[in-house]
Amino acid sequence: MKTVMTIALRNLSRQKKRSFLLGGAIAFGIMIVTIINGFSGSFVENVSENFSQLLAGHIFIDGVEKSASGKDVSIIRDDAAVSALLLDAKLPVKYVNRRSSFNGTLIFEGKKVLQDVVGVDLGNEKFLKDRLVLQSGSFESLPKDRQGVILSADIARKLNVQIGDRMLVQLKTATGQQNVGEFTLEAMSVNPGLLGSLSAYANKDYVNELLNIAPNEYQQMGIILDSINQIDPAADRLYAAMKTKLNTFERKKADSGQGNPLAAMMKQSKTETWQGTKYRLYTLNDILAQVQQIVNALNIASLVILVVLFLIIMVGITNTFRMIMFERIKEIGTMRAVGMQKNEVRDLFLWEALFLAIGGALAGLVAASIIMGALSLINIGMNSPVFILLKNGHLTFKLIPWQVLANVAIIALLTLLAALFPARNAANLSPAAALGTTK
Amino acid sequence: MTIVKLENVRKIYPLGKTEVEALKGVGFEIEKGDFISIAGPSGSGKSTILNMIGCIDTPTSGAVEIDGRATGGLSDKEITKLRHDVIGFIFQSFNLIPVLDIYENIEFPLLLGKQTQNKKEKQEWIDYLIAEVGLTQWKNHRPNELSGGQRQRVAIARALVTKPRIVLADEPTANLDSKTGEAIIELMKKINREMETTFIFSTHDFKIVGIADHVIQLKDGEVIENRRTENARSDGGKNA
Repeated sequence: MKTVMTIALRNLSRQKKRSFLLGGAIAFGIMIVTIINGFSGSFVENVSENFSQLLAGHIFIDGVEKSASGKDVSIIRDDAAVSALLLDAKLPVKYVNRRSSFNGTLIFEGKKVLQDVVGVDLGNEKFLKDRLVLQSGSFESLPKDRQGVILSADIARKLNVQIGDRMLVQLKTATGQQNVGEFTLEAMSVNPGLLGSLSAYANKDYVNELLNIAPNEYQQMGIILDSINQIDPAADRLYAAMKTKLNTFERKKADSGQGNPLAAMMKQSKTETWQGTKYRLYTLNDILAQVQQIVNALNIASLVILVVLFLIIMVGITNTFRMIMFERIKEIGTMRAVGMQKNEVRDLFLWEALFLAIGGALAGLVAASIIMGALSLINIGMNSPVFILLKNGHLTFKLIPWQVLANVAIIALLTLLAALFPARNAANLSPAAALGTTK
Repeated sequence: MTIVKLENVRKIYPLGKTEVEALKGVGFEIEKGDFISIAGPSGSGKSTILNMIGCIDTPTSGAVEIDGRATGGLSDKEITKLRHDVIGFIFQSFNLIPVLDIYENIEFPLLLGKQTQNKKEKQEWIDYLIAEVGLTQWKNHRPNELSGGQRQRVAIARALVTKPRIVLADEPTANLDSKTGEAIIELMKKINREMETTFIFSTHDFKIVGIADHVIQLKDGEVIENRRTENARSDGGKNA
């Protein structure tokens, strides 16, 4: 076996140009697939991180009541009960925020913009202060002005408002009544990209007043954990605790195969009736279930690319090995004459193909690492429309070891398959015919 | 003692829509330890006979017996093992493996079969053969660094490394100048005497034929002369 492997390895150096081209084709295939895998590997993580910053939470709890007219009213009245559960579940909590929000129309001097306005308690929103970069104004001015609002620079430009300007807001209360209020622009945030402009921030007390709910009530609790990887087990623990103490909607999980889990829970609340507040728990993963589908699609696409590339490369490998067999026909005859068995001749070609595949794959991985490293050094910036895919303005790549190994294994297998037919032909050559062949 | 026996061996090759009868009922016996020349002009069937004796081809009809064993009906695996254990080959074009150095080329057949020698014994035996063929200082060189005569010496050492009972040489001097060719034949003869290995070589060079113990002359696929020469030992190889 060792002799066969040694000859196979040395045979690769006989036609350096040919080995280089074949290995190069393999390397190119593995490089492309590795880059796609690396990108899709960090895709979920980056999108999740960016979304968790936008939504200010990894785990969310909503309260829902049924109004007299049968409409869903989003409200959490008993904060003490929910907070106690949070303590009981012993979650690795970093921040907890309590927010109310509405989607209303901001109006200034005839200009209108539809805008989500989130009521926050800025004293407890360290996370928001860390994330939101102000272009003008300050965080300190918001609590001082009950009707203050922070808008993204983009929205402020659309409304043509300046710091200190007062604007009207039209909205519906928690129970669906029309209402109007006034905001004063206290600060403008740097537009952090497409989704960043969707939210404006105001004092929760005033947002509650506009929604016609009490100051100590709110609509959503957002829990930020120490790590994004803790979401699922932490949510499971909290949900188990909630079920024992509170009236809770059945939880739909992202991996339950029921489509979008959040949409499924919303639909559930519409069809059910209950008394008092019923609570709903969902996670960032549930919201981003579709992102996972995109990643799965990317992974499938990369696998298809790998297979298609290799079907093309396989044709080249098969032809090359046929040529090699013809070139070495006397050598095969000699080896058979001096006592090499058929299977050893076959193995000689297969080892050569395997070494070629592994060499090509390693070169491809090295090339992919260099390209990924270079791409991740480029600062695209968080103002880019693709900011949601970036980490601090940079593309990042994350490779899953088993996926890399699986790609290499697929390539090795396909290369072996491509070389198998010429190898078998070589093995089945009659020694006399091989030795008697004139080239 | 008979080591090779051919009985009414015929070999027909298809050639397009026709057939060519390369051997027309050939039969002879070869004694162990002899130095045998199979002579004849091109196309007389010399190489075909060597292929039959070397078990790298099978007769269309007739029987071939090597070292007391009938080769008809043996599986490819058994035939390959028989070749490995009993026969050594020397080719006209040397047929060395270009990616192996001289030592490795000679060692190669030993690595194919069941390993019976320990590493040290094996190394000493290969070094001895390399010394016998006068290539000690070339042992770590690749074949392309050697002259034709040197390559054929390597091929001789490779043929002997498994201590075969028969060495087949198909026109071993055809690609060599006459001086080198003579030296190669002398080397083969020396080894034949020292190791008592049966050497069967094909040639159309009548000068080389003269050195043989036993001459088998072929013409158009038939044996036209089968005689032992004055070089043959009187015991006919019976005590070899």
